[in-house]
Amino acid sequence: MTPRPVPSPSSEAGPAERASNISVRGVSKRYGRTLALDDVSLEVEAGRLFALLGPNGAGKTTLLHILSTILRPDSGVAEVAGVNVLTNPLDARQRIGMVFQEPSLDDRLTVQENLNFHGLVYGMSLADRRRRIEEMLELVELSDWREHLARQLSSGMKRRLEIARGLLHEPRILFLDEPTVGLDAQSRERIWMYLSELRARENLTIVVTTHYLEEVEYCDAVCIIDRGKVLAEGSPEELKAAHGKEFLRATALNAEAADRIHARHPEAIRSGNSLVIEVKDAAFAPAFLAAFAGELETVSIDRPSLESVFLTLTGRDLRDKKAEPRDIVRAAGQRGEASTG
Amino acid sequence: MKLLGGIYAIWLREVKRALRDRGQLIGGVSRPILWLLIMGIGLNPYFRGEVYGEVRFVIPYTYVQFIFPAIIMLNIMYTSVQSAVSVIWDREFGFLREVLVSPMPRWAVLLGKILGGTTIAVLHGSLVLVLARFANIPMGWLNVVQGLALMFLLAFGLTSFGIIIANRVRSFEGFGVFSNAVILPLYFTSSSIFPLDPALTRAQTAVLYPDWLIFLVSINPLTYAVDAFRGTFIGFNQFDPMLGLIIMGAMAVGFFTLALIDFNRA
Ligand SMILES: Nc1ncnc2c1ncn2[C@@H]1O[C@H](COP(=O)(O)OP(=O)(O)OP(=O)(O)O)[C@@H](O)[C@H]1O
Ligand SMILES: [Mg+2]
Repeated sequence: MTPRPVPSPSSEAGPAERASNISVRGVSKRYGRTLALDDVSLEVEAGRLFALLGPNGAGKTTLLHILSTILRPDSGVAEVAGVNVLTNPLDARQRIGMVFQEPSLDDRLTVQENLNFHGLVYGMSLADRRRRIEEMLELVELSDWREHLARQLSSGMKRRLEIARGLLHEPRILFLDEPTVGLDAQSRERIWMYLSELRARENLTIVVTTHYLEEVEYCDAVCIIDRGKVLAEGSPEELKAAHGKEFLRATALNAEAADRIHARHPEAIRSGNSLVIEVKDAAFAPAFLAAFAGELETVSIDRPSLESVFLTLTGRDLRDKKAEPRDIVRAAGQRGEASTG
Repeated sequence: MKLLGGIYAIWLREVKRALRDRGQLIGGVSRPILWLLIMGIGLNPYFRGEVYGEVRFVIPYTYVQFIFPAIIMLNIMYTSVQSAVSVIWDREFGFLREVLVSPMPRWAVLLGKILGGTTIAVLHGSLVLVLARFANIPMGWLNVVQGLALMFLLAFGLTSFGIIIANRVRSFEGFGVFSNAVILPLYFTSSSIFPLDPALTRAQTAVLYPDWLIFLVSINPLTYAVDAFRGTFIGFNQFDPMLGLIIMGAMAVGFFTLALIDFNRA
């Protein structure tokens, strides 16, 4: 579209896999007195499902807005698919798909019209639009709804439509800002199903922000962000290994057995016949069982969870407790839809 | 080529949304009927050049004929300014972001939007033409084509103007108050419902109207727009026929540029 020469070699020539990198270096953004992003740097490899995890006000949306070129950082550099978002925003936009935190459909247009609008604005040919609209509606299971006005859809269906729309122009990277917030469990699961299907099918890098810790388990890599700072980055396993703790819970058959265990593991926290012992390495549990198997009533292992990782790192709970009741009410409203859609 | 497709998409969306909005259409139809058939016909007998019971001059037009072109303008004013509400709507309901992350340059987005509003306004303007028979105005093809071109020019400028305001006001209520506060005063002072000179000769003006009113009328750019419409539809001009065209062209270019500066900053 813009007859500008393509300056970045990676966008055309280089190995296709490398091209979808996202790279953020030293990005800061200030709103008045709030430092929304504080010298953030991160890299996302092509083909990854990458999660940005952080509490309210962490700066997740701000970061996605910078990456999608609609907000300029005060300092720093950001690249998507090998294109600098600051110097070459129009090219960058062609390569990314965006699902915003707030709804951004036109309620007065039909499902089909919303998608067609997107296709035209992204310069897609009639044939491409036809084919992709078909494909995407199929993916998000909205084919039967194409003639309905967007306003007639439930919020879960709207979200799915927004995902279909974000992908219509075959972007290399898809950004989703809290795609599942406010949805019932079933809709949330569906959305994750689509995302994993997509990743298998199209050569796509997905960056998703979320509040829901259990969802992060689906991701290849997680970046924990709080108060505009990156606190930790890695796969869920790595994060748990580095920052989470594993515990063994055992209930002894009787007090004498409990005494014997406690004598061997003086660091254990004991209440009655129950003991909680920190698991230090992989050999611990087998050795423990070998020694005490005959004297135990129950034994279980608490795997390190991201919840505990998050608590360790930020010293606060991830979930916005105040938002929960509303989520529940919305989820209840969804149930009617779940049976039809 | 791609850009044209995008501009077309934005234009189409504006048009579809406006056509699906019943209220706007009802306004577009009922307004001219009210003004022309009630006010126009009601005042028709008083528009004869009679002063203090004495016929001082002979006017070659009936009142209905005289206000007919102005009613076209009124319909365009309402619709153009109203269409700018979609800017507030888009910002409020998030759709603006969808457009802002797209690879369309800002000027193309704005152009599509303004063309969409303009189209609807021209449509509403030409609804008035349907009433031409009731106003006893002969309508040739040339008149219609020329009239549509003028309507387009005016509507483009006014839609841009509406968008400039919408960018500053940012709330539906504020915009409603503003558009009411601005449309009718501008309309009334545009020599729309009375000629600047009741005798249709310059010399009479100062005798019959106070200076401030003449001043207001002559600085109102819409005065010259109405004049251009009158020139087209009833063959009557109070000013140089080119003046209306130039002023409407300047409004279109000027307001579009201002709107673009705003939009690039947003
Ligand atoms: N337009 C704005 N004007 C002023 N401050 C803002 C603006 N947008 C965001 N902020 C502030 O910047 C910080 C980061 O906000 P951001 O929306 O990026 O957080 P988030 O991680 O997306 O939060 P949430 O989970 O609630 O969506 C917050 O402290 C917020 O108050
Ligand atoms: Mg956010």
